[in-house]
Amino acid sequence: MDAQRLKDNFAQVAQHGDAVALFFYSDLFLRNPRLRDMFPVGMSTQRDRLLSALGRIVSQVDDLHNLVPFVQQLGRDHRKFGVEALHYPEVGASLVTTLRYFSGSSWTEELARDWTDAYNLVSKVMLDAAQQDSSVNPSWWNAQIVAHERRRFDLAVFRVLPDRPFAYQPGQSASLEVPARMRMWRSYSMANAPRPDNTVDFHVQLIDGGPVSPVLVRSLRVGDWIKLSAPVGTMTFDERSGRDVLLIGGSTGLAPLKAILDQIGALPSPPRVHLFFGARYVDGLYDLDDLQKRAAGAPWLTVIPAVSDHDPGAVAEHGTLPDVIGRFGMWQNHDAYVCGSPGMTDATVDRLLNLGLSHDRIRIDKYADA
Amino acid sequence: MTSPEIHAQRITPAELQAVNFQRAPLGRRGFDEDQVRAFLGQVEQELVRVLNEKADLENEVGRLRERIAGAGPDAAAIQPEDAHIQAVRILSNAQQTADQYVADAQRYSREIAEEARRGRDEILADARSRATLVLEEAHRQASYAAEQIAPSSEPMSGDERRELEREIAYLRTFSDVYRTHLRSYLEALLRNVEEWETSERESLSGTRAALPRMD
Repeated sequence: MDAQRLKDNFAQVAQHGDAVALFFYSDLFLRNPRLRDMFPVGMSTQRDRLLSALGRIVSQVDDLHNLVPFVQQLGRDHRKFGVEALHYPEVGASLVTTLRYFSGSSWTEELARDWTDAYNLVSKVMLDAAQQDSSVNPSWWNAQIVAHERRRFDLAVFRVLPDRPFAYQPGQSASLEVPARMRMWRSYSMANAPRPDNTVDFHVQLIDGGPVSPVLVRSLRVGDWIKLSAPVGTMTFDERSGRDVLLIGGSTGLAPLKAILDQIGALPSPPRVHLFFGARYVDGLYDLDDLQKRAAGAPWLTVIPAVSDHDPGAVAEHGTLPDVIGRFGMWQNHDAYVCGSPGMTDATVDRLLNLGLSHDRIRIDKYADA
Repeated sequence: MTSPEIHAQRITPAELQAVNFQRAPLGRRGFDEDQVRAFLGQVEQELVRVLNEKADLENEVGRLRERIAGAGPDAAAIQPEDAHIQAVRILSNAQQTADQYVADAQRYSREIAEEARRGRDEILADARSRATLVLEEAHRQASYAAEQIAPSSEPMSGDERRELEREIAYLRTFSDVYRTHLRSYLEALLRNVEEWETSERESLSGTRAALPRMD
């Protein structure tokens, strides 16, 4: 397999952008009509994902050390879509057809062989990872809503009970699918450490015009069922560092930090923890009551709410999270955990680096905007 | 890619989608961001269409060349491969139409939601400022009444005292009435908001039982 030849060919094909993925899926569905049902009606996001995953795989095709973990995760992720071993050759055939079509006259037998070899390799790694995962995890969990609370007109906290044990690390997230929006999985963080009763909390902010979050916030009812994917994510708590802890959450970015807070609270001697919870308006501090209750019972915990878009008076600090954190002094000897929107996390990490915290002590979970 | 660059290579749809412009420096006027984005979206779609057409044509040329090169008795018949490519093209067009509908519906829903959010903020701000005004007015009147009594160290006649007490009583009532008005105004507002929410919820999923609260 000639890695450079693959890269050059893909660069040429990728110039056609969205058309490539459009052709690929049309070809796939025409050959295998039953596969269409595994995808949502609108396919634009799906096509973007396909192209970016392909781009990443091709760019790292000669860097297996970094590529393999990514492809393994891809294989595990696809279990929840109902993808099975027999689908892989069908996808491979459409992929090669697509590449040949867009390569035009520059397509050669060698390229065909290279692509087939590369695809077989990638699909084997995906399948192996999926297989391995299936001995530990189901393809998805069914979970029933046991409580649902609107904290604001556009923000809800709800609790689910999965149909079998759901093991995860505090700080991780899982993808959710609601029956009203089939095939549209959205990732949310678990907002508590695993409990003996197996219930899990999620915090959801409604995104205007988003397809899934309005359903989760406004239409979900106690008794409804949703699907839950296997947990993923690396913003987990480092118990061995021994350093004090800085938790920074913007809006529902608070969720994974609360799970970490649970974990810290269960330690025999918890480190000192500063939790900064930010929102644009005071009514966005949707979970402040609970946090303050926790702080009152935990001498190691300090909770600092911050409001950016108006002066909240005595209720909270006035300013963006990076500004407020900067005002509160010295964090060089802390481990920081940052979760929120891309804008919030980027600005906060910049500020932390400016304040002298090193990169390896900052763990980040960036929420998607839509 | 995060910033517009000039490059020798052709610009791709993906680059158009990912392009990010720096904000204009403070005090400098810039274009409306939404308009720029919408336009870029149009350009991207157009570029995808043109590139699609180009790839189709290149393929067409390739196939025609092959056909001429190997011109046999059945060269004029439609090849199965051609039919498949045509089907792919038709399905792709249908998918693009569906995507366009979904995108339009989402944009429409976002615009409505944003408008409603603005409306809510305005109503709340208006209610807050009214509340402040009403309270200030009541407070001012009450202080005025108090001042009327306090500085007069001279002994008052019974008539004067009764007059002032009447005035205080009047103002107290006045303030109470103001508070009541204010309260009912705010409650009406809240009821309004709740009615909207209920009717919207019903339209979303039919009537259902109220939710238990989470502790």
